[in-house]
Parts: sequence; C-alpha cells; structure tokens
Amino acid sequence: MNKGFHWVLGVCLVLTLQACNDSKRDAFYRSGIIYCSESNPVNFNPQTDTSSTTADATAHQLYDRLMDFDAETGQIIPSIASSWKVSDDGLVYTFQLKKGVTFHTTAYFTPTRTLNADDIIFSINRWRDPTNPYHNISGGRYPYFESLGLAKNIAEVNRINSYRIEIVIKQKDSSFLANLASDFSIILSAEYADYLLNQGTPERIDDFPIGTGPFKFQSYRKDHYIRFEKHNDYWGDTSLTSDHLIYDITPKSSIRLAKLITGECDAIAFPAQTELEIIRNREELALSEKPGLNVGFWAFNTKKYPFNNPKVRKALALAIDKNTLLEAVYFESATRAKTLLPNASWAFQSDAEDTAYNPVLARELLDEAGVAPGFTMSIWAMPVERAYNPNATKMAELIQRYLSAVGIQANIVTYDWTTFRRHLREGRHDSVLIGWSADNGDPDNFYRPLLSCSAIPSGTNRAMWCNKRYDQLIDEALQTQNTQRRKAIYEQVNRLIYDELPLVPIAHAYRYQAYRKDLKGMVINPYGGIRFVGVTKVQ
Amino acid sequence: MPQYSLYQEESQPSPWQRTWEEFRASHIAFTGLIILTLFFFIALFAPIVAPYDPLQQNIDVLLVPPSWESNGTITHLFGTDALGRDVFSRIMVGCRVTFGSSILLVLIAMLIGVTVGTIAGMTSGVRSSVINHTLDALMAIPTLLIAIIIVAVLGSGLVNSMWAITLALIPQFIHHTRAFVRSEMKKEYILASRLDGATSKQLFFHSILPNMIEMLVVQGSLALSIAVIDISALGFLNLGAQPPLPELGVILADGLDVAYIAPWNTALPGLTIFLMVLAINIVGDGLRSALRKRLSH
Amino acid sequence: MIKILIRYTILFVMTLLVLAALSFSLAYLFPGDVLVNLSGITPHNDAQRAALMRQFQLDEPYIFQFIHYVSELLQGNWGYSFVSGLPLREEIGIAMPATIELSAYALFIALVVGVPLGCFAGLRSYSKSDYIINSASMVSYSFPVFWLALVFILIFSLEMGIAPLSGRLSLLFDVPDKTGFILLDIILAKNIDSSLALGDALKHLILPTISIALISTASMIRLTRRSVIDVLNSPYIAAAESRGLSKSQIFFRHILRNALLPILPLMAIQITTLMTNAMIVETLFSWPGIGNWLIQAIYQRDYPALRIGMLAVATVVVSFTILIDLFNRFIDPSREKYERATV
Repeated sequence: MNKGFHWVLGVCLVLTLQACNDSKRDAFYRSGIIYCSESNPVNFNPQTDTSSTTADATAHQLYDRLMDFDAETGQIIPSIASSWKVSDDGLVYTFQLKKGVTFHTTAYFTPTRTLNADDIIFSINRWRDPTNPYHNISGGRYPYFESLGLAKNIAEVNRINSYRIEIVIKQKDSSFLANLASDFSIILSAEYADYLLNQGTPERIDDFPIGTGPFKFQSYRKDHYIRFEKHNDYWGDTSLTSDHLIYDITPKSSIRLAKLITGECDAIAFPAQTELEIIRNREELALSEKPGLNVGFWAFNTKKYPFNNPKVRKALALAIDKNTLLEAVYFESATRAKTLLPNASWAFQSDAEDTAYNPVLARELLDEAGVAPGFTMSIWAMPVERAYNPNATKMAELIQRYLSAVGIQANIVTYDWTTFRRHLREGRHDSVLIGWSADNGDPDNFYRPLLSCSAIPSGTNRAMWCNKRYDQLIDEALQTQNTQRRKAIYEQVNRLIYDELPLVPIAHAYRYQAYRKDLKGMVINPYGGIRFVGVTKVQ
Repeated sequence: MPQYSLYQEESQPSPWQRTWEEFRASHIAFTGLIILTLFFFIALFAPIVAPYDPLQQNIDVLLVPPSWESNGTITHLFGTDALGRDVFSRIMVGCRVTFGSSILLVLIAMLIGVTVGTIAGMTSGVRSSVINHTLDALMAIPTLLIAIIIVAVLGSGLVNSMWAITLALIPQFIHHTRAFVRSEMKKEYILASRLDGATSKQLFFHSILPNMIEMLVVQGSLALSIAVIDISALGFLNLGAQPPLPELGVILADGLDVAYIAPWNTALPGLTIFLMVLAINIVGDGLRSALRKRLSH
Repeated sequence: MIKILIRYTILFVMTLLVLAALSFSLAYLFPGDVLVNLSGITPHNDAQRAALMRQFQLDEPYIFQFIHYVSELLQGNWGYSFVSGLPLREEIGIAMPATIELSAYALFIALVVGVPLGCFAGLRSYSKSDYIINSASMVSYSFPVFWLALVFILIFSLEMGIAPLSGRLSLLFDVPDKTGFILLDIILAKNIDSSLALGDALKHLILPTISIALISTASMIRLTRRSVIDVLNSPYIAAAESRGLSKSQIFFRHILRNALLPILPLMAIQITTLMTNAMIVETLFSWPGIGNWLIQAIYQRDYPALRIGMLAVATVVVSFTILIDLFNRFIDPSREKYERATV
C-alpha cells in the first residue's frame, strides 16, 4: 500500500497549501448559511400545501404575511399590515398596509412597483375565488384554507385605497386574525401573476416564486438543494442576515446530524430524539427547545370496514400502551396526549379522559364487533421525521407487536413522502401514524383541520371521519368570543372524540432546533416554521 | 483393519484427497474453512441456538451496550437495538437469512447455468456469434440495476432480490460450463466413449460432470461471496429483504438511525458480513491454489 | 481489421436495440398506466389523453410503437420524470457524468496502485512481502462497500474531521452544471474562487473515491499477481534467464507485456463491479450521481425515470465493456473472446 500512501500524502499536501490563504477561505465559508432540511418542498407556495417542509422552505424566507406572531408571547404583531381594525359586530376587518415594501428582483422577473392593495387582494382571491385565473394552477387545492372553511366564510375583499383593504366575513370567527398570520397566508405579487399570464406560463408562479420576504429564490434541484439569496431591499432589518441561504435536502436524520458535526450544515431540521444527548454534549453545537404546538396520532380510516365501527377503533386504542410508545420513540421528549390539544394551548383540558392499555378488553371488544383473530390490517408509517412523530416506522413496529398480542396481524406500509400523502388523500390506508403541527395557538387550528367534514376533501382529515355534531360544536366554539365558554365547548368536543375515537392521540412533542454555535440569531418560533432573517455566521 | 501400512506408496489418493491434502497444508485456508463451517452451523441451527426471539421487542432494555463494555450486561452479549431486540440473536438469524438465501440462490444459478452451458457446449451447429456476443454484453449489466428493475416490477422483498442476483450470476456459470464442456469434448477419453456408443446424456453424466465438479466448487465459492455482498447490499438499500426480517444488511441499515449512541448496531452486523465474505474468499482462494498445486505436480 | 470493426459495430447496435426493447417493455411491465410510464405526463382529461396516445402511437401494433419509441430516443425525447416533471435527458445529463467521474478516479487509483503492487507481489511470489500484499488484498476485497464507506465516514469525517461526508462540493459554491464533471465545471465557472473550490472538491472526492478504489485495487492486485506468476512459470522466461538477460530486462521485455495482456479483457468485468460499487457509495455520500438518482426514483416509484435510467446505465456499462473487448481484439488478435475474471 506504499503508493496509496503517497497518493494520500500528495492530496494532503495540496490541502495544506489550500489552507494557507485561511482568511479568504474563512470569509467565504461565512458568507452563507447551510440548513439541512428533511425533504423536498412540494412547490414554493405554502398556500397550496400544509406540510411543514414546504412552509419551512418558503413561508418566512420568501414571503411575508399581513401579520406575524411574536415568538415570545404568541401575540399577533404587525407585518405587512401596519395596523388593523375590527368592526363592532366582528364581521369587517380593515387593514392598513406598509408603504415601500419591495418585491424580489430576480433573473426571471423585475418588478416595477412596490406592494399595494392589489397584491393582498390577489393573494387572498387565489385561494378564495374559484374564478380567479390562478385558482386552478398547481392542482387548485388550498388545504389549509379549505379545511378551516376560511374560503367559504369570506364574503368579500375590498380595496379602499392603494394601501388599505377591507375583508368582510359572513360569520364571526374568533381565530380569523390568527389564521391570516399563519405560515400559509402569504402575500404574492399580483404584477408577477399578470406578467406570467401574459407570457402564457401561469404555472411558473409556484415554481419560480416572487415574494417580499428577506430572501429571494435562486435555484432548486430536487433531492439536492434550494438556493436563496438575500433580498437587499427588504423592508425589515437585514443588517444581520446572511448573504446566502442554502437548503441542503438530507432525508436521513443521522446524516443530518453527521453533517452538523462536520460543519457541512450550520443548522438541521428535526434532530432525532435519540441524538439530542449527543448534541447537548458537543461543545460546538447548540440545542434549543420549546414545547411545541403539535400532536402525533394514530388515525383509522373510518370509511373502511371494520374501522367504521367505533368499537373496533376503541379496541385498537386499548391494545396499545401509549407510555411505552412515548418512551421508545420520543425518548422522554414528549408528553402523553389525551386530546388533540397540547398543554401549551389555552384550551387544554387537564382532566380529559384517556384510553388505558388493556389487551384483554380489546380482544373482547373485537369479538363483539365480529373481528376474528388473524384479521389483517395495514399501518401506514410516514417516511419523514416530524417533531410529533420522530420515527413512525419504529412506532409502527411496536404497534405491530401490540396488535399481534390481540390477534391482529398488521403490515407496515411506507412510501416516499409525496407518494405517501397522495395515497393517503385517496384513502387507501387502514390506519396511519401521522400528526399535526399547528400554525397558531388557536384550538380551532387543531380541531377543524384534523376531524371536520370539510377537511376530508382537503386531505388533512386522515381519519376520513365526518360527524355532524362535531362540526356543529366546533362552529359554535368559533363564534363564541368568551374564552371560558369556548373552552367548555371544546371539553364537549373532547368527550365526543373519546367516545368515537376516529384517532388515538399519542404525544405532544417538544420542538428542537440544533445548530452550530457560530450561528447567531437562531430563535425558535413555536408559532410556525423556521426563519433565517437576522441569522448570521460569526467567527 | 490394521492401522498401519508398510507400503505407503501403494496407496493412490484420489484427486479429491490430494486436493484436500494440499488445502489442509495451508493454515489460513483451513482457518477460513472452520469459520465458514461455523457460519454454516449458525445458519442451520440459528433458531435453536439464538438466546432470544430476534423479533422480540423489550422496552426495558433499549440500546444496552455489548457485554464487553463497562455498562453492558451478559444477558445481551452483543447488546440490544433501539427496539430492545437482542443484537446477538438478530445477527445469528441474520446469518441464516443472508447466508442461507445466498447458498440457495447460488445453487439455483448453478443448476440453470450448467444446464444451459452444457447444451450450448455440447451441441454444435449454426450459432450466431452475434447473439452470443449480445448476450455476453447484456450480462455486463450490474446486479443493482437488475434488482432495481425487479423491485419496480414485482415490489421489494427478499425473494425478489434473490431472483435479481440469481439472474446476474447465471451468465458466468453458463460461460464457464460452455468453455469447459467444449474443451473437454475435444479430449480423447470422450472420443473413446463416443466410439463405444455413449449417448450425449451418458457422456455428460459419466464423463464430463465428474470432471466439472471441481470447477463448479471454485466458481460456486466465487459466486457465493458475490451473492452474500449483493443480498446484504440490497437489504441495506431497502430494495431487498424488508424489516423486520433480520437480514444482515437490513440490521445494518436499521442501526444507522442510532449510529452515534449505539455504534455496535452498525459495527457488528457489518463485521459479520465482512467475516462471512472473507471466510468464503479464503476458502475459495485456498481451493484454487490447492487445485493448481495438484495439477502442477 | 475492418471486419472486426464491422462485427463489433453490429454487436453494439444489436445490444443497444435489445436494451431499448427491454426498456420499452418495462413501460408495460411496470405497474400503472403505460402512457404515464412512457411519457411521464399524467393526462388531465380524455382529449389530452387521446392526443398523447396518438403522439406515442399507442393505438398501433407493438412493433410500430417500438419503432416510434426508438426514434424518439434517438431524437433526445426521453420523456419526463413523473415526480419532478423535469425532462429526463437533462436529469441524466447531470447525474451520469458525476458517476463516471467518480468511477474514473477510482479506476485510475486501482490501476496506478494495483498493477505495480500486483507485479511486485507476483515477482516475489511466496515471499513474506507477497504474503502481506496478498492477504491485505484478500481482506480489502472482502469488504462490503456500504459498510466500508460507513466506517470511513465514522473515522475520517466524524472522529478526525478531515474530510466532508456529503456531496461533491460545498453548496456555498454556486457552480453551474456545464459538463457535469465537477472539476471541469469549477474551472469553467466564473465568479468563484476556483483554487478554493478545487480544494473543496478534492476534499469531497477523497472518501468516496477511496472506498470504491480500495476494493477495485484489491482485485487489480490479485489479477496482476496471478498473471505475473503464470508468465514466470512459462518456458520463455526460463529461456530468457538462460540467455543471461538481467532481471529488469526480463521484467520489462517479457513479463510486463505478457502479464498485462490477459488482464485487459478482465477489466471489462471490473467496470461492472466498479459502477455498482460507485452507485452504492453514492447513496451514502449523497453524491449526485446516477446511482443515487435511480435509488431515489425507485423509492418514489418514478417509473419513467427508472425506464430511462436503466437504459442509460446499461448503455454506458455495455459500451465500456464492448470498447475494452474491441481494444483487446486489436492489440491481441489471437484471443477469441474476452474472458471472465477470476479474482
């Protein structure tokens, strides 16, 4: 191996010579931030998708919203809208817009004007108005807005003057402002949309995005990277923002951590629960955590036999030991979920009923329901890590064991993330391990998208469960301004879910962010996706 | 029977015995054979010998380090994995799956390859060399590619990956058999039996096959080492055996998720594959040099 | 000479046709809609569907469909990826050179290190140094490449921090894909510090190249050693010795040439192993090559991509194999056909 050794030596020599102009090199490696993300975004418009991958890659980098959430208090604070007013009957919202907000100038589009009321109206009408020429672009689905019934509830969006708009809604909605401040309610450029329409290529709007956010889009290669460049004319403060931002798409969490250790990533998405200790122990790495607004659950396809029978669902829920799942999958970085709401929410019900591990009773219930031993079902395990379920396959394997103890044979099914969700929407599953990260602290943000009837076509109701009384209750809650009364209604809702069990809530996980210590300015915002404005690499 | 013989030179060892003598003279080859036999026994008796059920999850003993580490326990010799399954048992059963399926698929490939190769070698007639060449060129397509296509058509699974590797191994058996049969057909002893009126079938089973066995053993050992590596590689890439089936490549891929906190979950299955392949290669190499020495004497 | 050339051209074309037929039949064998498998476009309505059917001549007999398929292939219309919607030719045009580049460097190392070491071991056969080289090559030949790469990552990237573990260039460098070969692209790229980028690219190359090269080098050593020993035992070497030629004269005039000739055809089979190993290693080092691409495609069940990807890889491998075979026929016409390697 003599020659091989010489070769290695030679390369090392070249590398040492390279190292000579250290300062230049360091300056270069500091010029950009590399964030290792977990998956490909569906496109670059979070209006069209509820996955946090798409939102993380776009919402706070490329775009702005009318309002934002304060990272500390969760209060709604001004963003594009400098101020707003709600009428006394709670049906008319008036927004005053900031002036001089510039859109991105890129290789594919040069804006001629700054943001005005037209852009807001276009952005809302795109998902609200089926006659909008852009409504059907990129599939014509706006799951977030559909599942919350937001599109139906807006009566009109009016332009008062260039910098003032008015939104009239049909029914009172106590979560309306919060929804407009969520990751999905982003502001697009009406001028760019018109330009693309003239060019005859409207479908480019979601693949070559133009927004007002702190970063502008440069290029994207599926399974490899997304490149962003700093938006120098951003209306907010970008003095401490890095010149380049690159998303390195790395699906395996162990490889993300490895890259964080070698410095190939500056920050990573979703560190695995098993790896948290390693991150804490390493000097050069930092880990910040906050209780997350999320829930991981096991949903049954209630459209299919025998899962349309609440008894069967109850039996399956009794067959598993949630505490074990928590220990083995979350490694104590999550709390046991009794209802959909995490305890960070104001409507959290501490004395809610919960299913307890009881395989004997489970078997009895199955017999009553006519499900014979040897029955085969599928458990779909999502292929990506999420805070609410860091390792769905592992959880599925554990559940598989529990089910075999009550005489049910379970097959684990998994696909690539995009395919997985496509098939889920088509309702091909028997049961699925998945979850939900809320975009704001409002309880309606959990109850409506997860289990309401209108959330079935939009694809967020994984249980395919539609219950009239449930929908009535959550509608009633939305029209109640008094928080105590609202909370009481949600307790009734929890009771209903416990009786029907369309899904088994499993855990509420903490949110973690792992990054290298030379990254300054990283803040976790529990309300919504990751943001890189104000983040820089220092020496 | 007397235990001694005055006239040693009178004993005429068979060619097999002589190869065996040569083989045994090499310590390394002999050690390799012992390790290989060990793997063979593990493969045969894994379910009986393994201390735990390889699929048995135990939530109380997650990620226990191997027994030789300070906080390991003797109840789990190689530690446990992220689901509390006993790594030692998993590796034992993994040997059975990986090694067993490799032997099986090599035998199938050999059977098909020898059949086709013999027919090609014994019949003479109009054979387009272009077709032969084209087949040869197609045989150069990597196993991984064949496996990917089979997975796309039939879905992933251990059996499908075995088919892919069998398909990839058949050509070399055909090739060697054909070459061997052809050169053998030109020899005088074949001509003699032919003149005696032997049919092709008799020719093959009585004259050619006995002479071919050595070649087949050597080729088989080569194919076996390729098969073990390929089966585990496909398992590792999630194109072959599917979890929770304890195939060595699958165990290795499973261990990747906890590679930092539980490195034994990747190190031990990898080491096992390596040892298995090394033992096969050493035995194959020993066999070949023993044969070579016997022939040169 | 010309006869051989013609024969090989026919062989080449025949093989490609067989491969094209295979890839065409895959569109029918894969699950799902044949039209989608062929075009990569999901028709939104019946009119669009009918138009696509006409365009791909799916309403005609298979043989016409196939002829149409081949002509489309030749014109560069390879269809679209089902998942990303990008033209497949473009995607393969980026991925394929990355794999060829990686394999080429590994092959280069295997030759530069393997042949001299093999000669050395062969000349001193059954000595202590031969024993060491032979055992070392046996050990490295037995490594499963995916595990070896993992061990390298663990030692060199994570423990020692010498080399990065993913990709082929830090993403901070924005190098446009012109040729697909990273070192060339860096030299061609503007607006970047090319010496800095070259250093970075070399660092990224080290681990994947060595992982693949180690196994290929081992088989190269064994092939060369065996061949040299066989030549040493042949009568003309004894004759040369008896004529009083010096050791170096014998080596360069007789042994080297005669020992390397039989190795060359064996390289054909090495190419296949090398490419397979490269494709596996790519997935571990996130190397943006064809192996990584194909495995992503199978995870995502991207059938149009698999159909073309399979054709592209097979074509590259078969072309190299036939080229080596042809080259071998030119320099050594006495050989009938290429043989298969016995390592």
